[in-house]
This record gives sequence, C-alpha cells and structure tokens, in this order.
Amino acid sequence: MLEEQLKKIRSAQRISAATVIAALTTDFFVLHGDRLQADDPAVTVGYGHFHQQTVLFVGVNRGANLQQRLDYHFGALSPAGYRKVSRGLTQAEKFGWPVVTLINMPGAAADVAAELNGQSQALATTISQMGHLTVPNVALFLGEGESGGALALANCNRIIMLANSLYSVASPEAVQAILKDKQQALANYLPMTADQLKQLGLVDQIIAEDEQLLPHIEQVLQQQLTELGHLSAKQLQQQRTEKYLAILDRFTDQ
Amino acid sequence: MSHLPANGIWQQCPKCRRNVHRLEWGNLQICPHCGHYLRLSATRRIQQLSEKFQPLPELTAAPPFAFPGYQKKLAQAQQQTGASEAFTAGTATLSDQAFVLGVMDSHFMMGTLNTIVGARLRQAITAAQQQQLPLVLVIASGGARMQEGILSLLQMNTVLAAYDALNAAGNFTLNILTDPTMGGVTASFAFAADAVIAEAGATIGFAGRRVIEETSREPLPPDFQKAASLFEHGQLDAVVARPDLAATLTQLLRLHQRK
Repeated sequence: MLEEQLKKIRSAQRISAATVIAALTTDFFVLHGDRLQADDPAVTVGYGHFHQQTVLFVGVNRGANLQQRLDYHFGALSPAGYRKVSRGLTQAEKFGWPVVTLINMPGAAADVAAELNGQSQALATTISQMGHLTVPNVALFLGEGESGGALALANCNRIIMLANSLYSVASPEAVQAILKDKQQALANYLPMTADQLKQLGLVDQIIAEDEQLLPHIEQVLQQQLTELGHLSAKQLQQQRTEKYLAILDRFTDQ
Repeated sequence: MSHLPANGIWQQCPKCRRNVHRLEWGNLQICPHCGHYLRLSATRRIQQLSEKFQPLPELTAAPPFAFPGYQKKLAQAQQQTGASEAFTAGTATLSDQAFVLGVMDSHFMMGTLNTIVGARLRQAITAAQQQQLPLVLVIASGGARMQEGILSLLQMNTVLAAYDALNAAGNFTLNILTDPTMGGVTASFAFAADAVIAEAGATIGFAGRRVIEETSREPLPPDFQKAASLFEHGQLDAVVARPDLAATLTQLLRLHQRK
C-alpha cells in the first residue's frame, strides 16, 4: 500500500510546485538568493496574483528528470533555501500577503555544507517565523514531507494534503528500519497518510486526485484563504498554537 | 545506585578502553586516564548543577500508538534509569540563585523527543515564565522519537513557540548542550537560548554522522560536529569543561539577577 503510494508521489509525473504556481498565479515574481550565501534551486519563493490578491508561494522543487533532481538536490532544502523562505515570509508579513507552501520533499539537506552553514538555525528560524506570522499561511502537501525540513514549511493555520501524500517524522524507509519485522505495514502503526492525519486533527482538508486536480487545488486554496482572511493577526497566531497543542494534549494524561 | 547502563564496580572507558573503578569515575564521571566524559544521568546532572531541587509535578502518558516493541523498550529504559521518561525538570537553586532546571537523559532512549518529553519541556518553560525565573536546559537528545511518529515532530514547533514566548517575556534562558544534541532538538529549541554553551567534547548537529556519510559520500573531518569545531564556526558562546559548568552557570545567573 505505502510502497505504491511512495512510487506515485516520487514519480516524474507527479504534479509539481512549478505546475501549481504556473496554473494558479499571474505576474509571478521570483525571489532569488538568501542575500548571504547562495540561491537554493530546491525551493522557489515568489509572489503573484491569485484571485485578485497577491500571495507568497513557497514551492519545493523535486525535479522531474535525473538532471533536474540532481540540480534541485532532490528537493532537500539547504540552509540558504530556508533563509530565502525566511526572506519571503518577512515580505509577506510586511505587505500583508497570505502564504502558501507547496511540499514534496525528503526533508532538509543533510550534508557537511548544510551543517557548517547552520541548517539547525535556519530550520528553527523558519519554524518560529511561520508560527508567528501575522498573515495566514496554508501548507499544501503535493507528495511527501518529512522531518523538521517539512515541518518548517508546514507550521501553518491550515494543512491540506493531496489524497496520496504523506507527512511523517522521517522517511517511511527510515522508520521501517527500526521495526524488527520488516514485513509489518508501517502505516498501521504510525499515522502518516492524509486520511490518518485528518482523523488526528492535523490535516484540515484532503484533495481527491482526479482529472480535476488543478481546479480542486485552486478552489480549496481560495476557500481557505478567504476564511483565514477574516481572522486578525492575533487570532492567526493563536489559532496555530492552539491547533497543535489541542492535538498533543489529547495524548497526555491530565 | 548508579543510573548508568553498566552497574558493575568496574567500567571500561569507551575511549581509552582501560578499566576504571567506580570511585575513580567519581561523581563527575570523568576517566582518570584519558579525561573522557561518560554521559551523565539526569540525577547526577541535577546534583552537579543545583543545591536544592524541587521537581515539577510529573506529567505522564501512555504510548500514543501501538508501535511494535515500543512498550517493551520504554519499560527497559525505565528500569535502567529509574526515571519515568527522558526529561526531568524542577525549580532549583545554586549559590542562592533560583532557576528552573530541566535535564534530558541520553540513557533513556537517547533522550529522544516524544509526547511526554515535549509536554514536560513546555511545562518547565511555563513554570519559568510564571515564577519569573531563568530557564536552564541541559540538552542531550538524538532528536525526534520515531516510535511516536508525527507527534514527536509536532513537539518541535510547540516547544519552540513556548520558548519564544519565554524569551519575549524577558526571562534569561541558557541551554547547555551535552553529548549528543542532534536532529529535531537542534533544529528547534537547542539554539533558542540567550546563551548557548556546550559541554566539552559534545557532538552537536542536525543530521547524524552516518546519515551524512551515506548521503554525501564524502569523508568527514575528525572534529566534525564536535563542540570545539562549532565554537570555532561561531555557533556557540562557550565550550565548558564538566567540572566548571556549575561555576559558569552561577556566573550567568548572577549577571542576570533581577533587581
């Protein structure tokens, strides 16, 4: 089950962040670089018109062919990538734009350069900034999202998942590795599918993956942004904190 | 009673391989031959960094999901450490300075972040805020605990949010990073303190050495992710030897004493 799902979301045919941005926005302007070190091609940060308002989009690029995948580092963001996101978030807040993140990634980059360039700090800063945003933020999982690398882009007012996407503490392969019996179906024990996470209260909406995928995405994003548009800055911040604590509190003895 | 995995009178030093008597390890658990630090239990750490310690009410929870083998692992960890989970916190005093002290214990499932550890961290942070006390966290963690899946991941943003609120309230915060400080803990609250110091020799990083070697296929420098190297790269305020930690803590608490 999970294997089929993984094959689907990791395939070259999977809908990409670039496709969504191109279909949904007009006059899209791309931010380049973190103003410190580099421009990470694993993430596109930019703003464009979406239904009569300017929206900041943060799209992870996974790549559709081998060359792209290598160029994009398989969608694993470097510290410079997170700092570019951070720069975008600062502008969104300054100009009152809502933020939409598009996620399909294996997690944050794990290499020597990432460690030396402050990956931990870059992640912590992004998590914190997303949590405190005074504008609405919505995460849309197009494929998989794992570890702190995905959390940093998903610390949002709303989480939406395409029906086959996954959100997990680590890659299913990594979690499977700690199971003694390798035949055991992982998803039976840990919630990571869209349905399971919706039941948990973490995911707000699931989008069916049919021929009308892009129109569905457009409609859901528009509806969510409209609803969140009625909340004040303070309410938006509170809603995020309370959403997560409400889930966690259910698992703690009171 | 020792809270270390090996309960014998003699314990081999993992670094120089010499057998060292319990009395020679002493309270600080330092090898008399090569100076290697054994990882400390929460109990020992609390003894070394406080004169009085009053634990906060102990939060508990059942394992959230029926992950195979997890219940047994928890029971083993509890038996080996005598602690109920990987994090203990309380109000403490050192040289007449009051503060909230929270300690992670690497002997308990590598100090990994799960539902209870996260809840207790937020409890400690809230206690510091309510009582207007400095917060001191001694961190030792392998990162998020896999067996609790997405709930472990959500500890990162929720603990960090609480930590941010404490900083915004004006409380002094100090994190002491000890061996190991990794993964989701490093990428959330480990560096969120006003002062971040490391115990000498600690390994501190985001991704584990093995993961990096596998993914990037590049040879790693020997001092990679070591406290001294992080200090050189400007990531830490200080690297402190274990016998000096209490003095450094006292110094900082005095400097931040509220009039």
